Amino acid sequence: MSSLVVARWTLLEARRRRLLAAGMALSGAFIVLFAVAFTLLYHAQQRDLVSGQGAVPPGGLDASTELLVMSTALVVLGLYGVQFLAVLLGLFLGVASVSPEIDSGALHAVLARPLSRLDYLLGRFFALAGLLTAYVVVMSSALLLTARVVAGYQPGNVPKVVGLMILQVFVLLAVSLLGSTVLPTLANGVVMLALFGLAWLGGIIGFIGTIPPGNELMANLGTAVSLLLPADAIWRGASFHVLPASLLAVQSFAGGVDFELPFASTTPIAPAMLAWSFAYPVACLALAVAAFRRRDL
Amino acid sequence: MSPTASAEQAGAVAGTSGAVPAIATSGLRKTYGTRVALHDLTLTVPAGEVFGFLGPNGAGKTTAMKILLGLVRPSGGQALVFGRPPAEPAARRRVGYLPEHFRFQEWATGDELLDFHGRLAGLGAAERAARIPELLERVGLAGRGGERVRRYSKGMTQRLGLALAILHRPDLVLLDEPTSALDPVGRREVRELVRELAAAGVTVFLNSHLLTEVEAVCDRVAIVSQGRVVASGPLDDLAGAVTQLRVLLDRVDRPLLGLLGRHGQVARVEGTAVTLDVDTLDLAPNLARELVGAGYRLYGLVPVQRSLEDIFVDLVGEVREG
Repeated sequence: MSSLVVARWTLLEARRRRLLAAGMALSGAFIVLFAVAFTLLYHAQQRDLVSGQGAVPPGGLDASTELLVMSTALVVLGLYGVQFLAVLLGLFLGVASVSPEIDSGALHAVLARPLSRLDYLLGRFFALAGLLTAYVVVMSSALLLTARVVAGYQPGNVPKVVGLMILQVFVLLAVSLLGSTVLPTLANGVVMLALFGLAWLGGIIGFIGTIPPGNELMANLGTAVSLLLPADAIWRGASFHVLPASLLAVQSFAGGVDFELPFASTTPIAPAMLAWSFAYPVACLALAVAAFRRRDL
Repeated sequence: MSPTASAEQAGAVAGTSGAVPAIATSGLRKTYGTRVALHDLTLTVPAGEVFGFLGPNGAGKTTAMKILLGLVRPSGGQALVFGRPPAEPAARRRVGYLPEHFRFQEWATGDELLDFHGRLAGLGAAERAARIPELLERVGLAGRGGERVRRYSKGMTQRLGLALAILHRPDLVLLDEPTSALDPVGRREVRELVRELAAAGVTVFLNSHLLTEVEAVCDRVAIVSQGRVVASGPLDDLAGAVTQLRVLLDRVDRPLLGLLGRHGQVARVEGTAVTLDVDTLDLAPNLARELVGAGYRLYGLVPVQRSLEDIFVDLVGEVREG
């Protein structure tokens, strides 16, 4: 009950600090930019293919598959942008969730109320998680809708794409909230950005490790970094579900379409990594509660 | 003087809590690394009492108060608020608090802040709607509830803090330097507020280094210095613990000091005035007779009421020198 009061207060804060207005304005601009770029590129490619009809080289792709490959690459890149924005938003919100209130002293009067520290943290987390969920849903829906209207694009599995992107943001929010209960604000921000950068680099290293003939050490290194922060791994899992079923079919038939993006994956997330990704935010929250309970204000 | 002697009486006045003291600590201790913030604090504040917690800056007053609110975990000893450890949220239900730095979420309006705290304190919607304007009026912020806290002056923010502290009609109010940002009028208003609370049976625990403020409202005080209680008791007892006589004569010489030394301890000699620490004022008539008998001309023999400030400076000075 108390956590609901805190959650409501947190949402009011987001509105009052113009977080929502600023976030919506910039994100709207992002979607418009994507829509314009996607439309222009799609139609340009379409014209090229029509004018050069019949020039498909042996073993090459027919025009419609080529358009599909291009659309997929653009949608994956667009969603990569969305998840990047959402992740940064999650990090900033998490970093700003607890420690600034401790530093300013505003938390003293609040926690002197009959409010447990568990309820306080849960209220903070769920309000911010709700905001981020709405953000991811709205942004990715807008982007996918654009692709559908312009190119008739059908992703493999929209709920899985969006669901995994939300999970990724929860991971970042939870870990930065944990940092916010034990570290000063600025230090936490630095640590979280570094951690996120590390996870991104780990994803790239892992990706290079899978390029034939493959490098097991690099692949394992990528996995190890993903265990530290499974952000990039979850995104790659989400990106797999962006691929349309028809493209995957072509890929397996043709022995591999030339479709590789360093920011995306053509294989689903491993079940063990998925399980770890679900456990990760829960563990972070549990640690945050344990640390915060012991903290002197 | 037993600190708990008046517990039953006070409980009867408050009518709510029987003999359970509002605050009871024993051997309370807090260390930050090697620094001792609070050293073996043992005190009992019966329900219904106005208790002054006095000490210089950094004496451990705020640390003690934060432990009583569950904001700081003690390193040793025990603290109970109405018989329950303050780390339990339910134990804080009957407690109101004004923090030392009275910082609140500046993006919110006064009304919103009071509403939020009202919800946390478990007040219903109707109760909040009635209570909030009434409180703003009470602390001198009528009509200012719609403004953001960011726009409030320091004094207004402290007034808002006072409103937050008494919002849910608590049985115990902890005020940490409640008048630090207020002008003389505001200070007087706070004194009146504390007296009103006391009249309503509310226990008030007041942290302060402003001695006149404490003298004006507190039933009992404890003086802390460097994390230890150096004196505690009813204000009158403390003030009367050491009595002084000021002796005005025509001259001061060695035999005189010897004579005075048999009745008490010479504290100061200023010109031909001697201040003498004595155990009781009853010896004044005899002293007068002896002085006159010894050939001194006695112009005055005045009992000196020591102010709380004198006691405070003496005690805190002793601890610092020690």
